[in-house]
Amino acid sequence: MKLHRLVYVLLILLAVGFLAFLPIEDKLADRLEIGAKAPLTDVEVTDVSGEVLTLEEVAGENGLLVNFSCNTCPWVEAWEDRYNPITKMAEENGIGVIMLNPNAAIRNDGESMDDMQARAKSSNYDFYYALDEQAKLAEAFGATRTPDIFLFNSNMELVYTGAIDDNAKSAEEVDQPYLKNAIQNLVAGKEIHPKTTKALGCTIKWPK
Amino acid sequence: MMKSKQIVLFLCFAVLTAFGSVSESAAQHISDEELLKDTTGEELQEVIRSYQGEKAVLVNVWATWCAPCIEEFPYIVDLKQEYEDELHVVFVSADFPSQRDKALEYLKEQNVDWATFFKTGKDQPFIEALSDDWSGALPFTKVLNKEGKVIASWEQGAEYEKFERYIKKAINN
Repeated sequence: MKLHRLVYVLLILLAVGFLAFLPIEDKLADRLEIGAKAPLTDVEVTDVSGEVLTLEEVAGENGLLVNFSCNTCPWVEAWEDRYNPITKMAEENGIGVIMLNPNAAIRNDGESMDDMQARAKSSNYDFYYALDEQAKLAEAFGATRTPDIFLFNSNMELVYTGAIDDNAKSAEEVDQPYLKNAIQNLVAGKEIHPKTTKALGCTIKWPK
Repeated sequence: MMKSKQIVLFLCFAVLTAFGSVSESAAQHISDEELLKDTTGEELQEVIRSYQGEKAVLVNVWATWCAPCIEEFPYIVDLKQEYEDELHVVFVSADFPSQRDKALEYLKEQNVDWATFFKTGKDQPFIEALSDDWSGALPFTKVLNKEGKVIASWEQGAEYEKFERYIKKAINN
């Protein structure tokens, strides 16, 4: 009996040892699925104003809009003219808005709090722009790029994720205003369609 | 005597110049239109399929503004040369249309002398045509074996060793 137990223990140790030597790929966390609860809503983040916030506090009565954004990405720049109008629309509909900067690996290369403050000022940001210092929130959300949108309902369940719309370069030439539609349908209690979309963007610069 | 020396020198100069221009034209034998062709996701799939049964294929979506793309780009060019007979590389620039010339310039700087592609059209169908596993973040790489089976795909930049590992795997599978 004792011998059997010893064999089992040895087999487990061997298996663990074998797994330790398997090549490890850069596996990103899975993206939040539609219906999933917003994670880490009680984690404190610092806004460019110096205010310390949590997602719980930012959420409005009808939900929360989180956008992973940054200072150094041309795709953010391309979509940025829609940031304030969408914020206005969301807030008028009882949805809190926050942009989080997850680019931890290049804090000294355009993504520091000072850089964020300068960007918020030069682009007249009319929403919270907070530091996701070690990209913990981005990781928990399964965000991959900037910009990357996550819209939650009043129960903090994910109802839409993906792109702002289908034309980064020109707000006038947008065919599908995905996020605006999602906000309108969320507030009206209608079905959101599509619930997930994809768009090109800058990869998040994860901490090394 | 002096005259024949001059003739020899002239001939040497002429031969060297001729060789020089030949090698230069060899490096630039591809036109700008061929070096960077507009493409949709569907057209790209056809290009990738055309190598089935012939070579492994590495697809890399990049952009001039994307720092990790620029960092890894030379590794891929080197590996294409290293595994010339067994691997084809399909570069796809996802630059904005206004940056097309910059992309072309970069390809020349990197001595790319085969057809590459420039993404046109909407993002979503383009992303979906290339991979279900791709969220849209750049750079994106996909490695297929000779039979067209996907051996690996990933977002984010990578080191030379990672590219080589999956290229070898694709070639040997």
